[in-house]
Amino acid sequence: MTAIESPRPASIPFLRCAAVAALVVIGFFLPRLLGGTSVAYSTLTTIAIFAVMCYGADIVLSYLGEVSLGHTVFWAIGGYAAANLSVKYGLNGWVTAAATIALCLAAAAFLGAVTLRTREFVFSLVTYAAAVVAYEIAFNWDAVGGSDGIVGIPPLKLPMLVTNFSGAMQEDLWPIAFILLLLTLAFIARFRRSRLGTTALMVQMNPALSASLGVDPRRIRLAVFVISAPITGLGGWLYAYQRAYVGPDMFESYFLVMMLTAIVLVGRRILLGPLIGTALLIAQQNLLSLGGDWNKIVLGSVLALVLIFWPAGLVGLYRRITRKT
Amino acid sequence: MNVAQQIINGIVLGSGYACIALGWTILLGVARLVNFAHGQLYMLGAFVTWYATTRLGLPYPLAILVAIVVLGAIGLLMQGAMMRLVMTQNLTSLMIVTLGLGYVLQGGSALIFGGNPQTLPGTLARAKVDLGPLWFTWQDVLVLVVTLLLYGAVWLFTQRTRFGSVIRAVAEDPKLSELFGINAKFVYLGVFVFECAAVALGAALVAPRSPILTSMGFNEVIMTFVVVVLGGIGSIGGALAAGLGLGLFTAFFGAFVAPAYTTAAAFALLLALLVIRPAGLATK
Repeated sequence: MTAIESPRPASIPFLRCAAVAALVVIGFFLPRLLGGTSVAYSTLTTIAIFAVMCYGADIVLSYLGEVSLGHTVFWAIGGYAAANLSVKYGLNGWVTAAATIALCLAAAAFLGAVTLRTREFVFSLVTYAAAVVAYEIAFNWDAVGGSDGIVGIPPLKLPMLVTNFSGAMQEDLWPIAFILLLLTLAFIARFRRSRLGTTALMVQMNPALSASLGVDPRRIRLAVFVISAPITGLGGWLYAYQRAYVGPDMFESYFLVMMLTAIVLVGRRILLGPLIGTALLIAQQNLLSLGGDWNKIVLGSVLALVLIFWPAGLVGLYRRITRKT
Repeated sequence: MNVAQQIINGIVLGSGYACIALGWTILLGVARLVNFAHGQLYMLGAFVTWYATTRLGLPYPLAILVAIVVLGAIGLLMQGAMMRLVMTQNLTSLMIVTLGLGYVLQGGSALIFGGNPQTLPGTLARAKVDLGPLWFTWQDVLVLVVTLLLYGAVWLFTQRTRFGSVIRAVAEDPKLSELFGINAKFVYLGVFVFECAAVALGAALVAPRSPILTSMGFNEVIMTFVVVVLGGIGSIGGALAAGLGLGLFTAFFGAFVAPAYTTAAAFALLLALLVIRPAGLATK
């Protein structure tokens, strides 16, 4: 379970680049390959958005070893920023995205500073507490929507230099979601190799060693927590445009359980893990749904069973099978 | 504004918080385990009591017993499934597993008991006591008395008996205690079953005060978290004091400032205290 992915040999960088490029192209045309219906587009857009949401929590869980129960706050910040700024002030997507990033960084810096000295379950409780406080504020404060939320969010507008991109239909939103997902993946890939990423892993796995090397674990923890927030936030930002509605339901535990399940299902510290996990879970809910209550049972059981029986996720299970035969 | 009435309300609320928090305090304090399904177990305890009284027609005390037995059995199953994680002290995974199991309990209860809010016909919930301008119900008195008795009994058990020291030895180092012939798995099972039984009792006593819903798990028992952390992670006396203190704070905040923001205020208080004292109030 503690095995670190060894970096693949970089002897054939050209082949790797070509493979990645091919995957990106296939990924982009995937909704068309799946029939090009608007259900295909909306399902894949949802998968991309939820995967981005999960990657934010993934950084904290996989590289810090902490369970953040407060990432719904950043998810909601993104949604509320998009809704409030576009409905009330008519601002475009760039501004709402910039506001999302700024607000998420500020909220995470505050929450991170408060929880700096807490660990494990106290950290989880306090982040959860923060989510409850944020929920109560969003529910009762009419200036940000109150219990009714904000309806009628206009289609996403991202004016470029010459053209004006607009995401009025599900089909139009897909390229944005896809690019956001690619940027997230690139960021996570970069983070895994960065000094911060490797140091965070060292702090988690061998605190004594990291301390002897002069690493300040609190600073690392704060930095990782702060950079994880805008990722989940941008997921919520796009989710608001997709649904054209934002309300206190963005704090629902569904999103929290979804994030954690998607991360642990395939296996922690695997670059594409949360994306595949999200895709499996959304596909189950959209295509094989048994109703809301059954979906809860499925989601919760998957989460519990994976950790009880195959702590390393589906990848760990696969490795065990291939090693035995 | 009647200050005396708010003090009574605060003690009533606080004894409920403390009663629900007892199981978790024990689990955390003596076994160093976490259970994020606590809220859903509370919800389930309330629904089992409701089912036993209204559908099976059992008298209230017997329904409480049924809830305790059912929840104890669920606790046995949960802990049995998680035993490997418990023995390796894998707290991160335990937190997530219990969160997932709580979600399963919520979905399952919604399937079995339906989505409608129900009221638990506790026989004492409507028996009002009037003392001049002040009032409370006999159910409130029952909760307070049972809570105080339970805390006293648990404190005596863990601090003054041999079993108590055995449990604390297991919490300190499960592997080492097994070398001394203690069956650590059995101890963990026992503590976890106690937690589930205690929350069932708490639910049966506290739930008659308000409507019960299958979705209340995450939100209704959230105060438990505050009690446990404020009380100083597993300190039994600390949890009781924190429960009562939090009840008073909630009552006065709700009466004088804004009832809609009481949970938020309680958590803001918790955040502020954690900055000053990360380990809670009871520590030096």
